[in-house]
Amino acid sequence: MRIFTTGLILLLASHCFSQKSEDLVPQQAVSVFSINNVNLLQKISLDDLVKYEFMEEVQQELFDGSTSGKTLKDSGIDFDQKVNVFFGRTADFELSGFTFGVKDRSQLFEVFDDFLPTESDYEGVDFYVSYFNRIAIQGNSGILFRVTPSMNLVNTITDSIWYARGNDYPWTWEESFDELLLDMEENGEFDEDEESEDGDVDVEFFEEMETEENTSSPIENSELPVADEDPTSKTYYELRDSVEFALQAEHLNSVCEDLFVNGDNLIKFSSEFKNQVARPSEGTFYFDNSRTLRKNSDFIYLRRLYPSFYKKLEELYYGNVMLGDLIINDNSIELELNAHYGDKLGSIYKEMTNAKFDKNALKYVPKDNSSFFTFRLNMREAYEQMYEVMHPLLESEADKSRSFSSSLLFLELWDDFVNKDAIFGTYQGNMFGAYNGIQKVKTKKFVFEYDEETFEYTEQEVEAEEDMPLFTLGFSTERSDIPEKILRHIERTNSYCRRQGDYWVFNKAILNSAPLFVLSKNGLLIFTNDEDLVMNHSDGYGSDALSKAHVKKAKKSGFLYAYTDLGKAIENVPRELFNDEENELIDVVRGKSGKIEFTSSETSSAKTSFNLAYDFEGDTDASTYILDLINSLYVISK
Amino acid sequence: MKIRFIILATLFFSFVGCVEIIDDLSLNEDGSGTFRYTINLSSSKVKINSLLALDSLDGKKVPTIGEITRKSDKIIELLKTKEGISEVTYNADYDNFIFKLKCEFSSLKALQDAIRDVVKSENGNKTIPELEQTWLTFESNKLVRSIPQIAVKKTKEINIDDRALLKKGSYTSITRFYKEVDRFDNESCAISKNRKAVMIRTDPYSLTQNPNLLDNSIYLVKTGE
Repeated sequence: MRIFTTGLILLLASHCFSQKSEDLVPQQAVSVFSINNVNLLQKISLDDLVKYEFMEEVQQELFDGSTSGKTLKDSGIDFDQKVNVFFGRTADFELSGFTFGVKDRSQLFEVFDDFLPTESDYEGVDFYVSYFNRIAIQGNSGILFRVTPSMNLVNTITDSIWYARGNDYPWTWEESFDELLLDMEENGEFDEDEESEDGDVDVEFFEEMETEENTSSPIENSELPVADEDPTSKTYYELRDSVEFALQAEHLNSVCEDLFVNGDNLIKFSSEFKNQVARPSEGTFYFDNSRTLRKNSDFIYLRRLYPSFYKKLEELYYGNVMLGDLIINDNSIELELNAHYGDKLGSIYKEMTNAKFDKNALKYVPKDNSSFFTFRLNMREAYEQMYEVMHPLLESEADKSRSFSSSLLFLELWDDFVNKDAIFGTYQGNMFGAYNGIQKVKTKKFVFEYDEETFEYTEQEVEAEEDMPLFTLGFSTERSDIPEKILRHIERTNSYCRRQGDYWVFNKAILNSAPLFVLSKNGLLIFTNDEDLVMNHSDGYGSDALSKAHVKKAKKSGFLYAYTDLGKAIENVPRELFNDEENELIDVVRGKSGKIEFTSSETSSAKTSFNLAYDFEGDTDASTYILDLINSLYVISK
Repeated sequence: MKIRFIILATLFFSFVGCVEIIDDLSLNEDGSGTFRYTINLSSSKVKINSLLALDSLDGKKVPTIGEITRKSDKIIELLKTKEGISEVTYNADYDNFIFKLKCEFSSLKALQDAIRDVVKSENGNKTIPELEQTWLTFESNKLVRSIPQIAVKKTKEINIDDRALLKKGSYTSITRFYKEVDRFDNESCAISKNRKAVMIRTDPYSLTQNPNLLDNSIYLVKTGE
């Protein structure tokens, strides 16, 4: 994360290019975010910058007083080159970092003052090290990166060595530990605060346990190995660290060999990246989804056991790349994304998004809403197309493998026996959601009433009101009779559910306090906690519904449309309804005004385009909003 | 016990806001009595349920109902073992979030010793200087009560922004006697019509700002008067 946040700082720092920092982006990178032009941000003071959440980890490392009062332009970064933040994952390791132009090395290492020069095996390349991070500078471009071996691989190799040395299972739990824990608890030595999140005991306790069993030779007695008796013996953790260190060095070498000896970089490897990074927009985005399949360790087993099927899956994902442009205007920031894919996958997406817009849906979104979205899919067509693509794929493997034969049989029987009209008539794929801000909802509470004679008190149950965010979620359905059958069954068998006219009420369904309403009307199945909607607007909000212009925009968009008025949506959201991470994200935009609109194009068999537009007004300049966005990225990704 | 509840309650309720606390002490002629402590969070059910759905809030782990129950039961069991404490009952209504504790004590000293022991035990048997204080005394027809220093200390640790949320709640302190009250020092105090009980009502926020709000000296009528 530190490397990511450091990258974000430098992300702000370059605005156009004359040299090619992008030549140092490793070919293993799967996603790259490049910033070409951030003129607005050059004057931002480092003092202001460190106030952001995403700076918390680097402010000790980078801004430990030596950079006080300076701006980004004082950091030694060459603003004539791009900054490219990248992340990559292979089956064996993860790779993250950023590349940048170097203008003034002495200034640069005033900022990166934790990095120390180290020996270089590559001619014309200087190396600097800080813990697990490396900086390599070639000419006027540099790369700060970190290689992290796959922990699965590290554990597998460690276990292999551990057992080969004759050691026992390192995670044994003995009855004596239970007794020890009990004693500690009874003596107050074991406080609940010391428990880890999953309820396990403190790490120190395990360390003691592992050390007891961890020697280079089988344990003959119960005595612990003493370092000065056998200095080469390692605990399980020490052995694992050694394996991790060795693997890291090996992968580090392979990345450097590729970059500095063979000249194998991402530009050479991917024509999509080469074209995208050359675009003149202020920022570009590249994400190769097809390689996430190939490099995902979860698929190693599939690749090894069923290579021909894996190859067909790879072909299915071929060309699955997302490319994006960041465009900065006076009072708005736009992110344009194009999702590309191959013919077969594209045919599924195309059929899946070939759905009719349900006009009834937006009648249930009030015009003063804080946020809403529409999502339209044709699940029936998607299913049929998926069958068309997957059936021959499975059939070609069925003769080779029993499990593929079973999967094929299951797919065929499902297709023959299941009433697809009923399933896809009930859930077609069209849905909408709306957030209507915070409103008072009716609840019950107890108060104590005092007798004036004696001050004795008794409990009285009375009506109360509490703040609650109002949400509505609706699905288009041609077979409302099916969910209604289910609702009637619930009503008959449960006291908490009752029908009132054309809607059902589930008492205390939300946070054990407020009711949830289910309305089945006008070809829609609507779930909401907004009593006003079901009681007074069961046919929609009429003239108080979403404006025609807004409906037109949503209708014109492809399969997805979303809109948020930040001022309304965020300001009144109660903190206690969200966890820490969500609150951090909300805090980023709390106090800001502006509107965010997300649209998509019609989906073809080759691509779908998306556009995220963030319009803002007021005195706050674009740089602050960009920093907010970066801060959001940080909070989401950490 | 009282202290522990005050500490826990104040910290937790700072997030919840609308909390009603009743602290009820009944004193018999021989110095024994009954202590009742009630926490009513029923008007914040939505907020509490949403809080309980979280893993953590403001960096603090949010306990599950199971964890709260286990912790409460442990404290109650500990209280039951204390000398001079009997008839301990504890009712927790997790639908409406109303918690009631009641116990009999043989003397005010026994009650305070029991509370000290429980608090100390819950703090890993560490020495807590604030616990040395005596906050309840009854001598010569005069009861003197104050807020335990440990509670004062803990409430001062609450974030200022969080303290403001406590303004919506209420804190009621009732003291009952076996005979009529003659007079009392705290001007905020009200007396029942039968003159055998006095009550002070404030809000938890004011209490965090001024822990002396509940301090009182209550004088009973002397025998023969």
